[in-house]
Amino acid sequence: MAELGHFALLLGLFLSGYAILADVLGAWRNKAELVKSGLNATIACLACLTVAMTVLWIVLVRSDFGVSYVAEHTSRALPLTYKVSALWAGAAGSLLLWLWLQVGFVVLVFGKFRAEQGTFSAGARAVANMVSVFFLLVLIFDKNPFALSIVVPVDGAGLNPLLQHPAMALHPPTLFIGYAAFAIPFAWAFSSLKWGSTDGSVPLFRQARNWILLAWLFLTVGIVLGAWWAYEELGWGGYWAWDPVENSSLLPWLTATALLHCARTYGRNTPAARWLTILSLVTFSLCIFGTFLTRYGLVSSVHAFPEPGLGILFLVLLVNIWVIAAILLWRRNRRDKIATRAATATGHKFITLNNWLMVLLALVIFVGTLFPFFSGIFSEHKISLKPDYFTKITAPGGLALLLLLAICPFLFRHGISRSWQTAGAVLAAIVALAAWLLGHKIALVCFVLCGFAMLNLAGDFLRRYIKVRGRRNQRPVPRRNLRWYGARIVHSGVVLVFVGIAGSGGYGIEEQAALMPDGTFSMAGFNITYEGLKADHGPNFTAVTADITVHKGQKLVARLNPSQAYYSRSDKRTSEVAIRRTLAYDLYLALTEVDNTSGLINLNVLFKPLINWIWIGSIVSVLGVGLILISSYSRRTAVARGEDEDTQ
Amino acid sequence: MKTRTIVKALAGMIVIGGGVGYFMYQAMQSSWSYYYSVDDFSANISTVKNHSFRIAGRVKQGSVARDLQKMDLTFTLAGSESELSVRYKGSVPDNFAEGREVVVEGRLDTSGVFQADLLMTRCESKYKVKVK
Repeated sequence: MAELGHFALLLGLFLSGYAILADVLGAWRNKAELVKSGLNATIACLACLTVAMTVLWIVLVRSDFGVSYVAEHTSRALPLTYKVSALWAGAAGSLLLWLWLQVGFVVLVFGKFRAEQGTFSAGARAVANMVSVFFLLVLIFDKNPFALSIVVPVDGAGLNPLLQHPAMALHPPTLFIGYAAFAIPFAWAFSSLKWGSTDGSVPLFRQARNWILLAWLFLTVGIVLGAWWAYEELGWGGYWAWDPVENSSLLPWLTATALLHCARTYGRNTPAARWLTILSLVTFSLCIFGTFLTRYGLVSSVHAFPEPGLGILFLVLLVNIWVIAAILLWRRNRRDKIATRAATATGHKFITLNNWLMVLLALVIFVGTLFPFFSGIFSEHKISLKPDYFTKITAPGGLALLLLLAICPFLFRHGISRSWQTAGAVLAAIVALAAWLLGHKIALVCFVLCGFAMLNLAGDFLRRYIKVRGRRNQRPVPRRNLRWYGARIVHSGVVLVFVGIAGSGGYGIEEQAALMPDGTFSMAGFNITYEGLKADHGPNFTAVTADITVHKGQKLVARLNPSQAYYSRSDKRTSEVAIRRTLAYDLYLALTEVDNTSGLINLNVLFKPLINWIWIGSIVSVLGVGLILISSYSRRTAVARGEDEDTQ
Repeated sequence: MKTRTIVKALAGMIVIGGGVGYFMYQAMQSSWSYYYSVDDFSANISTVKNHSFRIAGRVKQGSVARDLQKMDLTFTLAGSESELSVRYKGSVPDNFAEGREVVVEGRLDTSGVFQADLLMTRCESKYKVKVK
């Protein structure tokens, strides 16, 4: 069975290699047959990858421990859902999943053979296949999911219990859908460097634009799921630690957010074109680079410098991409000099400002993440930066973005002029500055700006409502309403996330307590009483649970049962936290140590104000993106019917 | 390109670059932490006082002692040649165990004990469990 999977990968490698040659030659020499053959090879490659995926799933579900990937990530006792999700539990399976999705998306977008789009699509497919070749080389020669076990074990090692959580079953594939989907704007941008003036460019851009939105949506959901999992499962009470693994998903998110805003304004005027191209290339490159960084432990590892092995292929791929892109960019600039056209429309200025802020944020995070590596080059000893570097460095940028978000809907159309909105922005900035000088708390500044942004958004909604009501009887409500509301709903969600971050980060309290049975401990106005211990048994673990009551004054607020589970199969211990959730705060209890004989426990107690607004805000944002996607889809059918495309 | 645009662009770059550089410097100053192995750290022990360090090593077998009442943990961090005693207060990661590679962050106190305020266990690869 595994041999079939291995063979499918080899065949896929051959096919995608052939597809590059056929597509490039066909587009260059204008040979339709070659282009068609390149397309067919890409589709065949997709078929091979589908076979490989199916084989991997079959061996996982059948617990075929002869395949070492199966033995390393599953065991017989593992529930079926986790056997299925074990496909992305390791590096090899994740890479395969990513590649499969990516080739699938590429075939979907650049797979229609129409004469007028042929050349452009061929270019896009060629670059996508170049990425496939590198992925397949890594998959076949280094991280092979079908490698056989040297000794076939009786049972597998099982899935790390920390990862046996619904959020963790969904988090990796969500991220990979996002990463894979960014290959579409990437391939579009690459092809447009060479064939930007051909007929395929514009209609395919409309598709790429929706893919940017979709990719952004999945990346966002993936990141939030990861944060939620960390908060629920890891027991330290935080959701974000500025770990290289986390940063590597945040970096493409930042550039993707800039890309998203660029793509919305592209088309009517071209200054955004260069941004669009470069951000598309940067975003996808960062997706690949992040994978390289985390899977090959360039910085996260304890070791000085681990053998990167074939992971170095990812770096070769990135160098390839950027060298070719640089040559094409240079040639295009020489050819038509469109780049000198200035960004005149006010809207574009703010988009550009937003781009710069996002790129700068990404840059400082990038430098911080790779700091141990860079410092290792220049000095004998590596220097690492504590997480508060990131907190401090991102705070000003984040606040600037928040202010921009608050005033952009207005400034986008009218620019800075004498008006209520400008006065409001100046006032908000003054109040925020005063808050900073008085309280010396970033969180306070953030609250002021959040309040201002919310007022502005509410005002925007209100004005719109009045306007729509005023002309209700004259003509039907314009279709672009959905998109208009969607964008503002996304922004409202972002503001709510900022509220949550500021509340939990600026006013959170954390304390540790050692308690004997019937012992009490008070924090933030809560009296926390430890009543006793009880033992528990699950299907593949044993657990001890602490009985804890929380009082505020005389009133019983909650009964909480944090516990510790022990998984004998993998000799792992996890603590299951207990959380009292309200919209105003979370009271978070984690059982860190237990002495079974005396009943003594150590508790980690956290008070996190407003933290749930992070999750609520994220959900609101996702719903907003959903609305925009619906409107994009309905507009596409409208364009197909011959109606013209609207403006912002 | 006109000279004026170039001057403008340069001025902009200096202002933005300077601003960002200043912020980065400010943020880095307080979160600077040298990364040493236990052996390196012990070899340079005379020069390492009063600095924040991040030290990687292996938890020595049989050296872990916990005091649940005081909520602290002491253990010996071993390199290939030298050792270092570490004291840590706070919540211990779930997969902390003897023989495991860990990273501690903190300062050396006057009695030669490393006072850690951060304890991280090495993720084997984020998702992987070793087959025994």
